[in-house]
Amino acid sequence: VPDELLLGLKFIFGPCAVPALDLVDQRSVTRVTSPSGRTLYQVLGSSGKLYTCYSSCHFCTCPAFEFSVLQKSESLLCKHILAVYLSRAVGACQELSVSEEQLTSILLAEEEEEG
Amino acid sequence: LCRGGLAERLCRLQNRERSAISFWRHQCISDAKIPSDKSGVLIVKILEIFEECTIQVAICQQLEQSPATLSPEDVVINAEEPILKVLFTRETAAHLKSRPQDVIHIYPPWQKLLLRNADVPVIMNTYFSQKVLLSEYSEAREKTCGLTKMLIRKNIISLAQTFRLDDLDDELHQKSSDNQQVACAPQIRNNCNLKQHPLAQSAVNDSLLEMVESQGAVGWREAQVQVVIQRVYCLPARQGYRSHIQGNKPLYKPMSNGGMFCRLCLLVQDAYGMFSEVQLQSLSSTDDIEQYCRRWEGKFCWLAGMKILQRTTRGRRGYNVFVISSLSVPPLIPPSAKSKSISMTTNLPPPSFCYILTVRSGEVHVEVDEEEQISNLYQPPAVHGLKEILRIDGCNKRCSFGAQVLYLRLQTKHSVPINQREILLFVTDSTLQDVVHMIPKVVAVAVTASCVLSTDIIEALSVASRLVFFKDALWGNGKIICVERTVLLLQKPLLCSAAGADLSELTGPVRLDELDSTTQANSICALRGTVVGVNESTAFSWPTCDRCGNGKLELCPQDRELLYCKQCSEVVVTPVLKMQLEVFLSCPSRSQSTVKVKVWQCPGLFVLLTMLLFTQTYEVQSVMGKEVGLLNCYVHSVTSHPNCVALEEIVLL
Repeated sequence: VPDELLLGLKFIFGPCAVPALDLVDQRSVTRVTSPSGRTLYQVLGSSGKLYTCYSSCHFCTCPAFEFSVLQKSESLLCKHILAVYLSRAVGACQELSVSEEQLTSILLAEEEEEG
Repeated sequence: LCRGGLAERLCRLQNRERSAISFWRHQCISDAKIPSDKSGVLIVKILEIFEECTIQVAICQQLEQSPATLSPEDVVINAEEPILKVLFTRETAAHLKSRPQDVIHIYPPWQKLLLRNADVPVIMNTYFSQKVLLSEYSEAREKTCGLTKMLIRKNIISLAQTFRLDDLDDELHQKSSDNQQVACAPQIRNNCNLKQHPLAQSAVNDSLLEMVESQGAVGWREAQVQVVIQRVYCLPARQGYRSHIQGNKPLYKPMSNGGMFCRLCLLVQDAYGMFSEVQLQSLSSTDDIEQYCRRWEGKFCWLAGMKILQRTTRGRRGYNVFVISSLSVPPLIPPSAKSKSISMTTNLPPPSFCYILTVRSGEVHVEVDEEEQISNLYQPPAVHGLKEILRIDGCNKRCSFGAQVLYLRLQTKHSVPINQREILLFVTDSTLQDVVHMIPKVVAVAVTASCVLSTDIIEALSVASRLVFFKDALWGNGKIICVERTVLLLQKPLLCSAAGADLSELTGPVRLDELDSTTQANSICALRGTVVGVNESTAFSWPTCDRCGNGKLELCPQDRELLYCKQCSEVVVTPVLKMQLEVFLSCPSRSQSTVKVKVWQCPGLFVLLTMLLFTQTYEVQSVMGKEVGLLNCYVHSVTSHPNCVALEEIVLL
């Protein structure tokens, strides 16, 4: 990975860049797939909490996303989403296969938290 | 950070870059004209600027050479010159202060990005940019333009874009704009407000959150937020008030420096339900807090350029959750928006945080529209009768009521300094007086030191029985207390929702509860009984000032025969002699206990007292069995072993 690319990341994504790269270094991103083909990403945050990011659209369950991206429109994305994209690009995703029920329960668990 | 990982690498690169940038900036300031014939310099002319997610996007035209030799009018936009999208970070943008038609030199290292599905290349890493001033004309323009605010359009990425819903049907799109979703509304407003002509007036905003979070942004200081004043109250400053208690009658004396100091505060709410406490100027106790309440509560107010003191969250000091939770949150879309009907209910929980703002000194930033009528969003305090309040379930609820103050007592805890002592007010109203049993006729209201009382109130309370209006007192654990943000008023507020409470003065004599088995300490009651014993050693008499009732008279320094009252600062010519004696009574209403009363004014025992004090003897027969009553008393203590109640005769206001 050339230096210019890293600096470019920093330019565009600002404060998210270094934490996202750190998450990639630590292989914190896991791609979770189910037999039907549904995928989502789970990122182990720095606090130890597991956040879920969707692959079909820009979404993360972390409070930073809710605040900076959705509410204030200040950031394009949070460090977890960036980590997902970067991990995909460098091939540093861990893979996990789960059953349909398990995937559903992950998705539903987020909903319950929100409610 | 992982050793040797990408993050660590970026950190190191970033640090190097940062020092290069600061060096460059320094050079820019000191060296106005950097020769532009270095290779790798990108020369662009800005056509349009907007902001997106803290990055400033400038649509530019690339120029072959610096038009240093040409005047601005001569520079014609050549249609064949390539268009670029140049990105600047917030800091660079602030440094450049660019406007359309400006020419910028971008020094290396910058980067060019070609996106797959876009024609226009993107230029990034533009830290080393400099605006080029072409001639005196543009320099002068620069100076004048620099003074006026330049509001840059903010391009908000809609949620539809974020969630990639763009490929949905148009019909769905239509629906989503009519749909009363939370996130959309403020964004629509943003777009409307910020899409402005560069020299436009600052917009009037109605979101506190937006104002607070855009602090420091361009034009923030002048932007105004429209809010509704829900409550006006005072918060205590460090000095307190001094009070004296003479015998049974409390007297209040303002401090020699002019009185108690407190800070006038407003609890404001914006159209979206967000609360904020705005701390204004200091008041002395001579200022009429009541007047501010009357003039300002319920009115619209414009705040500008506030300084943020604190952001408090529920559960922390400063978060006046109790007042806020007694106020509801209005519908998320204010009725003024172009929506047809709002079907949402308003049972929303109060926000979990609140900003505490203050005015910057020397600048007037709060304008209250006193002329306008009361806002629809105002929630006046809900007034209830005391009977209803005593029945409220739950703890720490704010309540407002009007009541007649019967008696006042200063809590004398010697470990607490005098200006922080609690005052106990005994109050009643028609809802309590009219009831027969099971509900007390009189309720004690504790006024803590954190509740600010104006001198008017204090004077009024100590003189005669008054109807006092209590706004936002706290009810919990069977007690009513006045704390921070509770306001005591002498007049009923103009606007309050009185749910069947009668706020008129009581007619007819006030009745107290009679002493019985349920009587507790620190309450007042009435009793009747017969004398069964006298505690001779407690017989005591002392002279008091006939003007003010001061019981602590001193010997006159000039003439040791005369008495001097410090409060009146005069000699007391005819002192009033007060006497006190402790007697034991047998009360049929509480027959199991020994009732010990300190009497001093009871007419029936006057002769006894006189005899005891001056002759040291008394006729036992004349005293024993003597009927005493109905005596108004303050209960000092109630003990069960021995079963004894100690009281003191009092005079109601």
